[in-house]
Amino acid sequence: MNKHVSAAAALLVALVALAVLPSGAQTPPAKPAGPPQALLKVFLDWPGADIGFFRAEIPFVEFVPVLGEALVRALVTPQGPPGNESFAVEFSGLKEFQGDDNTLTYAPAPGDKPEDVSKGLAGLIKIGLMRYVAKTPAAKFVSVNFQDLVKPTSVVDKWDFWVFNLSASSFLMGETQYKDSSYYGSFSASRVTPELKIRTSVYGNLSKSWFDFGDDIYESSSHGYGFSGLVVKSLGKHWSAGAFLSVESSTYSNLKFSVTAAPAVEYNLFPYSESTKRQFRVLYRIGYTGTRYNEETVYFKTTESLLRESLSFAYEVKRPWGMASLNLVGSNYIHDFSKNRIELGGEVSFRVWRGLSFEVGGSYAKIRDQIALPRGGASYEEVLLRQRQLATGYQYSFSVGLNFTFGSTRSNVVNPRFGNGGQSISISM
Amino acid sequence: MRRHLGIIFVLALSFSSLAAALSQDQPSIDELKKTAVKVYLDCDSCDVEYIKTEITFVNYVRDRLEAQVHILITTQTTGGGGREYTLNFMGQNDLKGTNDIQKYFSTTTDTSDDIRRGLVKALKMGLLSYVGKTPIARRITVAYLPPDKAGPGRDHWNFWVFSLTGSGYFSGEKSYKDQNADFSFSANRVTPATKVRLGLSLDTSKTKYDIEDEIVTGTKSSWDGSGLFVKSLGEHWSAGVFLEAGSSLYSNIDLGLSAAPALEYNAFPYSQSTRRQLRFLYKLTVNPVKYREETIYGKTRETLFQESLSATLDLREKWGTVSVSASGSHYFHDFSKNQLDLFGIINLNLYKGLSVFVLYGRSWIHDQLSLLGREPTFEEQLLRLRELPRTSDYFVSIGFQFTFGSIFTNVINPRFGSSGSGGMSIHIN
Repeated sequence: MNKHVSAAAALLVALVALAVLPSGAQTPPAKPAGPPQALLKVFLDWPGADIGFFRAEIPFVEFVPVLGEALVRALVTPQGPPGNESFAVEFSGLKEFQGDDNTLTYAPAPGDKPEDVSKGLAGLIKIGLMRYVAKTPAAKFVSVNFQDLVKPTSVVDKWDFWVFNLSASSFLMGETQYKDSSYYGSFSASRVTPELKIRTSVYGNLSKSWFDFGDDIYESSSHGYGFSGLVVKSLGKHWSAGAFLSVESSTYSNLKFSVTAAPAVEYNLFPYSESTKRQFRVLYRIGYTGTRYNEETVYFKTTESLLRESLSFAYEVKRPWGMASLNLVGSNYIHDFSKNRIELGGEVSFRVWRGLSFEVGGSYAKIRDQIALPRGGASYEEVLLRQRQLATGYQYSFSVGLNFTFGSTRSNVVNPRFGNGGQSISISM
Repeated sequence: MRRHLGIIFVLALSFSSLAAALSQDQPSIDELKKTAVKVYLDCDSCDVEYIKTEITFVNYVRDRLEAQVHILITTQTTGGGGREYTLNFMGQNDLKGTNDIQKYFSTTTDTSDDIRRGLVKALKMGLLSYVGKTPIARRITVAYLPPDKAGPGRDHWNFWVFSLTGSGYFSGEKSYKDQNADFSFSANRVTPATKVRLGLSLDTSKTKYDIEDEIVTGTKSSWDGSGLFVKSLGEHWSAGVFLEAGSSLYSNIDLGLSAAPALEYNAFPYSQSTRRQLRFLYKLTVNPVKYREETIYGKTRETLFQESLSATLDLREKWGTVSVSASGSHYFHDFSKNQLDLFGIINLNLYKGLSVFVLYGRSWIHDQLSLLGREPTFEEQLLRLRELPRTSDYFVSIGFQFTFGSIFTNVINPRFGSSGSGGMSIHIN
């Protein structure tokens, strides 16, 4: 039975090979048997070349016998002494590819056998033809692969991967009865390699608003500044260890000055190298925070120093059907376990059927740790403008969306006349 | 035992000599990577981490002048509601003169994974023209897997594409609740010769504040139906009609209808629209309207005639982005009822890591015909639920960013999360 199957398979392979190589031997080109596939027509300008070999090696183009039929001309010029020559391949686009020209050279390694040289040359011709093939229907069935795993740090870098960034920006807006302005500045220094990640930055921001109610004017301002630092050491494919360090001052959170140092460890169920496709990270962190408040808190404190621990789970997957993510974070203060919070969030975007996609997302937080709330509370205007953190036991959000598209599948036309439905600008801080 | 050790020793010796021989003939992959093409990826809407993980046979740099290839990716909306990605490959420094354009099309319901895989493929195919000039090219293979049967059927929808979208968003905490829902339907037919866009949308939102046991509720709702018909008249001219019907609580409009024939001239050919446009649009509008409450001018309904002219310049070049527009309009029954708007955004990648941006908008408004006859309440003012009288508004934003240090950005390190370093960023679509 097994033998039969393998014999049938061998026959099938032979048939496929015959079908793919219609003129495998150096016979005059036979008429294409199947339906006329829109393959790129190439004229190989190299008298005496083994055209059958190149037909077999490069099946995604059609080698034509005369220049007049071709869309691309590949002129091969051997250079140097025979037996040890290198090859210049000059690609010229014709007709609709007029002007798309390029020249590549192939230099075989000393001691390469003639068949290795032919293979290598065919490989280079494939690479040179790719820009034209990409514009034909055959592109769908072509794949480009790199055979090696290479370290991203294999470069000559005199800065040793340190990157520094200085930025500043301002945003002002207003109308007759309303004005708003904000300013932001930061400096960061970071060094990211696969073994070690260092990120540090100092920042500051200031925002002001102004309302005119006719007989009454309301003004407000808020600001924040701080430092944040992160160091992470890689410990194999699944483990990492590191520390967070931050200094913060914020009117929104009632913090005059707050310093936090928190060592942490992380475990990823999947190798980190797959992280753009899937990751499931578990992070434990324990941190010490010393704080001086702007206003006395609801617990009658103006300064305090506390230990706090947190555990978080983050799952994320991105696949052809869509993507999903789930986050769970729990934290508590060590001096009083009843001061804690749990946050759960998730998001799924899913293609149900060809034109139908579905999105749902949500989050819920149970909050029992607002130890920094000021005793004085917030004013009516501060509440409406959301300028102060307010007392709450929970926070939630939920969103759902559905999109169904049907109709023409040949709708790749771009027609920019009268605009494309407006432009959008998004500003994120 | 000793014999085993001996064998291992001999094996190790022969391996090391083999490795030495190999490295003499062919440089190691890490050596090849050092001479790989330097690429500057200029794309706002790409999954850059994924691209860097999937395409490892080039080096990524953060400054455009350091690169050998600058890849500028621009997008436009297609008739089917998807996106057309135009990949402009521009050779620089020693690869100057080798240029190419590749395209990739996405559809509305493509998942983010579909899109990033499609873009990676288009990038790889386009990059090979440059990679072919470096030694790492010999480690790249091109494979071809043709389908058994090809050729999609006819398009019996005749370019019509229909889309239904609905979404809801809910969030809240103890003293604040927010609910939003919207629904839209569209039918589009876009060909190079004509463009038809029909749309219907409904929006509603409700915000609730609980301040010292007093409940403040803000409601906004609106609906809108629109149609656009455009006919192409050569490479520079287009003619068409805008139709619209709508209602809005914010603007005090119970029912507004409008019909506006229009004419457009583009100084650049429309075929270059993804990179440059300079468009002038003239519009003549007739607008019967019925108000919800009596207006400040004592009207409950009226029919208005208006004309408007706008000019827009959009440029997307290696050195940055420019988008500037000016538009003016007035009513025929009273020329003093007019409006002038200016808008500009300039984002320049200057020299060696320095980039600056300026965003500017200013309006002079003398045509608020639908303003409420009565004084809006305090909450309506503070929560911006109703249009308020104003004669001008503006916004300005200025910022710069200076980056120095390592030019390479090959490394992706997802440990402890890939949080941004803060700062302000602006994206224009």
